[in-house]
Amino acid sequence: MTFAGMTLAGLMPLAIGGAVAITGLYLLRMRRRQVVVPFAALWELVTRESESRRLWRRLRRVLSWLVQLVVLLLILSALGDPRPDVWLREPATIAIVVDRSASMSGATADGGTRMDAARVRAQQEIAALGPADQAIIISAGEEVGVVAPRSGEQAALSAALATIEPSYGEADLSRALALAEHVVADADGPRVLVLTDGALDDAGMLALSRCTEGAVPCTIATVDGATENIAITAFAARRYPNARDKVEVLAEVKNLGDAPAVVELDVEADGVSVGRRRLELLPGQSKREALADLEAARARFVAHLRVVEDPPTGMSTALGPAFDDVAYAVVPPLSPLTVVVVTDGTDLFLEAALLTQGEHVELTGVTPAQAVAGHAALRDADVVVFDVADAPLPATLPDAHLLVFDPWRRASSPFAIAKRADIKRPFLTEQLRDHPVLAHVVLKDVNITRGTTFALEPGDQALVRTLGEPIMVLRERGDHGLVAVGFDPRQTDLPLRVAFPLFVDNVLKYFEQREPGFVASIALGGSRELALAELGMAVDGVTRVVVRAPDGTEREQPVEDGRIRLRALEPGFFEFTAVDGDAIGSAELAVNQTGTAASDLHPRTADLDPAVFAGEAPTPAPVAQGPLWTAIILLATAIVVVEWATYHRRITV
Amino acid sequence: MALRQRAVAKGADDDTIFDEAFLAKLELLHVIARRLFRGRQRAERKTRKVGSGLEFADHRQYSPGDDIRYIDWTAWVRLRHRLIRLYEEDEDLPIRIVVDVSDSMSTRGKRKLKYARQVAAALAYVGLANLDRVGMSCISGKSFETLPAVRGKGRIFKVFEFLRTSDTGGPTDLRHGLTRVAAQSSQPGLTVVISDFYDLNAFEGLNMLRFRRHDPVAIQIIDPIEADPRGTGLRGDVTVVDCEGGTRREVTVSARTLDAFAQAHEKFCAQLEASCRSRGIHYVRASIDVPFDDLVLRMFRMGGILL
Repeated sequence: MTFAGMTLAGLMPLAIGGAVAITGLYLLRMRRRQVVVPFAALWELVTRESESRRLWRRLRRVLSWLVQLVVLLLILSALGDPRPDVWLREPATIAIVVDRSASMSGATADGGTRMDAARVRAQQEIAALGPADQAIIISAGEEVGVVAPRSGEQAALSAALATIEPSYGEADLSRALALAEHVVADADGPRVLVLTDGALDDAGMLALSRCTEGAVPCTIATVDGATENIAITAFAARRYPNARDKVEVLAEVKNLGDAPAVVELDVEADGVSVGRRRLELLPGQSKREALADLEAARARFVAHLRVVEDPPTGMSTALGPAFDDVAYAVVPPLSPLTVVVVTDGTDLFLEAALLTQGEHVELTGVTPAQAVAGHAALRDADVVVFDVADAPLPATLPDAHLLVFDPWRRASSPFAIAKRADIKRPFLTEQLRDHPVLAHVVLKDVNITRGTTFALEPGDQALVRTLGEPIMVLRERGDHGLVAVGFDPRQTDLPLRVAFPLFVDNVLKYFEQREPGFVASIALGGSRELALAELGMAVDGVTRVVVRAPDGTEREQPVEDGRIRLRALEPGFFEFTAVDGDAIGSAELAVNQTGTAASDLHPRTADLDPAVFAGEAPTPAPVAQGPLWTAIILLATAIVVVEWATYHRRITV
Repeated sequence: MALRQRAVAKGADDDTIFDEAFLAKLELLHVIARRLFRGRQRAERKTRKVGSGLEFADHRQYSPGDDIRYIDWTAWVRLRHRLIRLYEEDEDLPIRIVVDVSDSMSTRGKRKLKYARQVAAALAYVGLANLDRVGMSCISGKSFETLPAVRGKGRIFKVFEFLRTSDTGGPTDLRHGLTRVAAQSSQPGLTVVISDFYDLNAFEGLNMLRFRRHDPVAIQIIDPIEADPRGTGLRGDVTVVDCEGGTRREVTVSARTLDAFAQAHEKFCAQLEASCRSRGIHYVRASIDVPFDDLVLRMFRMGGILL
């Protein structure tokens, strides 16, 4: 405390003189007025009852004297214009970056959350601001936001601080710290303070390191808390490839704590529990649980972690933060697959292989002549199989997935993949066994009368080669795929093998899985582009779509080229409903928290240089704004008013 | 200088206490008294004693030495008991008026003392006009002055002079003063005590009169301001000093204190009244706000006190 007005040496004589004067006046005041009465015995009788209050009365007089001395001291203090030392220092500008990653919702020892502790620390920093100091509060979640702009108003900063809540994902500290440094770089006394629990991903740790080594002083204030946590790290539902009316659900649960734990995994489908598993997990252990043969009629699956009521001895039941104790999955809609077979009817093996497909595959036969004439079925087909033998292919191949056998039977062909050479009795010598099209397909020792090899272009995949030359090629054509087989099935013994129907089935499934409707779950995140078609929505003519978030809020968004930008900052089910378009459709999307890194509550800041840590909270500034002497005068006035009021009500007389 | 001014004021006040207006009121009182008690004989008060009266009162056993003329022979013939006949004897009983002149009567400009003197003078005038013998005493703990009994209306100025010139001051000591009054009175009679009775032993004095066969009448003079000081604005820390004894007491006066004092004063007066009534002593409470002649008339209407 420093006196900017009168010095202490100048104030002391005034204080002494004033105290003496007040004391003298009080001694005069304490001389009682004499009242002559005719019969004092009655007064004795009346006042005898209040004898016990005499001590209090004396104390009250002393108190009144002390009050006047206090008022005197306050006035003299105001004359001295006292100013806290914090006011006299150089102005400071502090950027408070609050980590609001999911781990900040973890519990602390005092029963609160890490975010609560961070708020307290931030509040202490705000309370320590001097009149010339300023602060800005930046929240670092999946998205970076300025919670409170640069200001010296403590009330506004505190109010904004209270609005920060933990998110469901990781903190984008890189962008947050870059913003913080940029904001305070040109200000007076710049400083960055990061409030975090240290449970960061690699990117966050890297950002911290860069910040502490940067030009702007950057310090870290950490908050501690329990590290016990059990999380659902993966959750998905899928239809069986060969039984589309059944689905399989997979959940992965991991113990991220330091003690053995037991937990119950409960999977619900459309609100009905369809499976429960009791899982005992060692520290760091994860287990995957699959629920098989579930009815595909249920579209929404939610996995919950629940506390076990009768845990074994020594097993922890702490689930940790709730954000990773629930996960969501959507079963992709089962849309029919329209397959058109252009054939002269002589390849019964091909037709038999196609007839083994499930009921969702709608099979249509078209003759080569009808195909050339532009049959209507070709326009609406999802997959077109050309097995036309020596008949010509249509001049324009349909805009669909294509499986074309022996496209270069004729010398001239409109086929997109160029012919390299005709080969007699080719041997299938090499194949991409890991490609889904050739899964479980064995092409060894297949006899082929004749065939053609293809000239590859960038992006083409040679699925099968004959002595190094591609004879079966996969080309991606925008939204569609094209599989070209350089031989006629009729001229091989391949149809007699198990590999042929498997190959046909693989091709159809490959094409089907490339169709929209198989993106059923995404991770939390800020703005991202999302193709509505990938959600199984018909996008023809759709220009606007209504997005309904898990919290029930709806927002209409524009659609451009069948894509929208989605902000998924909350786990749950997002619903999309087309406002316009040829076929008003809807789709669902499950959004889950990011994964293991967000759920791991262990701090990773132990390896940082101890010098980068902020240490204890600063001492609050006595008064943040305004000259202190005005407050002192107000206080003295208030005391005088109270004393005056009580005096005239005979309370302090 | 201030004392001199006060003395001058005191003398002026004493000179005007019995002015022409006062005398006119006395004459009016006398007229009213005659109208109220017309038919009674002057100086006619009955005493139950063997005397020359005509009205039979009672019997008592004969004792040797009794005048045998008063033996009830008829009773002796019938009952063989020697009984003496008693008659009520008519005689004029003296009226003694005792005025408390202690310091407690002199507070607030001697208003109570002036009032007491006026009441005493009025009663004396009515008594003298009725041919009663009227004596006067001014008592306090310091002084005791007595005006021997006088008779006749023309002696009223002697009464005025006595009341005007008697010493005042000193503590209130009614017990001692009234005992002395009783002792000096050779003939018991009606004794009117005019005082504020601010004395814890006041009733003992009255009782002493009664013991000496006096017929005491207590007139308590009350100053309303002293009895209920709530309207005076007295507040805060004060030192209460007794005007008589110098007793000092530090008091913090609040509204509650004043309420309690008013209740205590009322209780004190009520106890005095109850004590008087339990002993057959006439008691009159008089506020100095009430004109003295109204008080005297009220006493007349109460009946039997004076006339």
